[in-house]
Amino acid sequence: MDSGVPGLNEVLGGGFVEGASYIVQGHPGAGKTILANQIAFAGAAAGRKVLYVTLLAETHTRLFQSLGTLDFFDQSRLGAGIAYVSVFQTLRDEGLSAVVSLLRHETKRQGATLLVFDGLLNARDRAETDIDVKTFVAEVQSQAAFVGCTVLFLTSTRLADDSPEHTMVDGVIELNDELSGVRSVRRLRVRKSRGSVSLNGFHQFEITQKGVSVYPRLEALLASPSILDRFSSERMPSGVEGWDEILGGGLPQGSVTLVFGPSGSGKTSLGLSFLSAASTSEPGMLFGFYETPERLLAKADALGINLRAAHTAGNVYLAWHPLTENVTDKLAGDLLEKVRQLGVKRLVIDALAGFERASVYKPRLVEFFAALTNELRALGVTTLATWEMQDFAGPSVVAPGPDISSMLDNLVMLRQVEMNSQLKRVVTVLKVRDARYSTQLFELSFGNRGLKIALPLQPVVGATTGIASSPEP
Amino acid sequence: MAIIVIAEDEFLLADLLASFLEDEGHEVRSAPHGVAALKLVRAHKPDLVITDFMMPLMTGLELAQEIRADLTLANIPILLVSGAQGDIGRDHPQMFNAVLDKPYDQTALLIAVGRLLSS
Repeated sequence: MDSGVPGLNEVLGGGFVEGASYIVQGHPGAGKTILANQIAFAGAAAGRKVLYVTLLAETHTRLFQSLGTLDFFDQSRLGAGIAYVSVFQTLRDEGLSAVVSLLRHETKRQGATLLVFDGLLNARDRAETDIDVKTFVAEVQSQAAFVGCTVLFLTSTRLADDSPEHTMVDGVIELNDELSGVRSVRRLRVRKSRGSVSLNGFHQFEITQKGVSVYPRLEALLASPSILDRFSSERMPSGVEGWDEILGGGLPQGSVTLVFGPSGSGKTSLGLSFLSAASTSEPGMLFGFYETPERLLAKADALGINLRAAHTAGNVYLAWHPLTENVTDKLAGDLLEKVRQLGVKRLVIDALAGFERASVYKPRLVEFFAALTNELRALGVTTLATWEMQDFAGPSVVAPGPDISSMLDNLVMLRQVEMNSQLKRVVTVLKVRDARYSTQLFELSFGNRGLKIALPLQPVVGATTGIASSPEP
Repeated sequence: MAIIVIAEDEFLLADLLASFLEDEGHEVRSAPHGVAALKLVRAHKPDLVITDFMMPLMTGLELAQEIRADLTLANIPILLVSGAQGDIGRDHPQMFNAVLDKPYDQTALLIAVGRLLSS
């Protein structure tokens, strides 16, 4: 059953199982009610009959007032597609078995194929023993399953794995809202899932005007690329005069290149040059965190890089994600969606640190980048990603860790080297996977007609340390 | 003093409504759904029925249809109080004598009840 919640079907391994029962648990404010109502409204919009049963003190009118601010809320569905009923009085006056009986009649009367039971904790409080709880859950789910009705039990308590409720239901979804430093992070986890292979571990989610959106962890979602990677020996022109010769004919098609260097060394400019060669058959995209599209175009104009023409022709898309509060997997999802949608073949990520900054659990980044780069290769995208080195000059080179470097196909270092009282930009190719390339150091020059790599650097010593001196005679 | 039957599944609203009306000197009987309310109506022949729309087992509209179909009860005034189905009530004037949209305040409720009891 389609949950109607972006990302949740993927985490559940294809959506809810029809006729199965699930517990949705989380502390007050975790987002259970919004999630359940979003599922209910999506179901009603798809033609389902939904029965939303409450055992709570909050009135339905108040619930509708708070839901009314969200996009998915559709007042015309109330009573026509979704019926909200309270069974608190029945529970209080007649007990659990009367509630079971009432739900059976009401499910049948409404023809419901989705039952949301909001307030399992109250039912638990009314039960005298664990057996009563078990019996209640078993009866509700078995009579619902009998008529093919999927059940969501919502509860604000954190039920133990061996609680009677957990042992009975087919699935358990847990919602958390915790602090990570000064930031609030919402996470969803499927603790149990019978009948489907769910994605393990935590997945971040957001609640916005659109409701709940879940962002499956990329390394879990794309443990293997979505399609088989087809190796290509073709080369893609880099868009920088002279660079293709150094690289052995251009950037290998479907490869991932990391360009690292300090601020001002020319990383973004190299990326803009790469994109300026985009065409209808090779659409390009810059996925950036720092400069707005207009600033990037102005920068390209100033350097004589003809990016504007490719942008105006619709062959280059400039995506800007301000480096504020981002969700790593949402960024990756947006990137891959645009790549697929536009058929991007030339991609610039400026910079990988944008993903790193968004991450609330950095040890997973190696697996995250592995999944991202594998998928980009499989999609036949030639990627140029940047990485900023901390030191402008000096012998220390803080490069990405070996775990990350080894998953990249090509490595290019840019440095600003002091030579004869001048700073020169020097480009060094450190690695091109499975290909011959020049190991010489070259000067990168910025002219009126874009970037150019013309001549090997004059013989010096120590250029890669940032401070060069003439060689001994 | 009048006898009033309330059909309301939300206990907070049912209790609040009953308290207001009892404070005015009325005798109130409450039911958590339409089926139980219909039994109360048949048993007490009230002067007024106040009903919610969305309720388990029997909606407010179905309750009104049952009452109107019974010649011994057909003339009992019915007030629909609803958060989302007020318009359905207004579309069925033969079923509901008046409609009050939720959330309502005490004054609006007492005015509506007063009018229906005096008519």
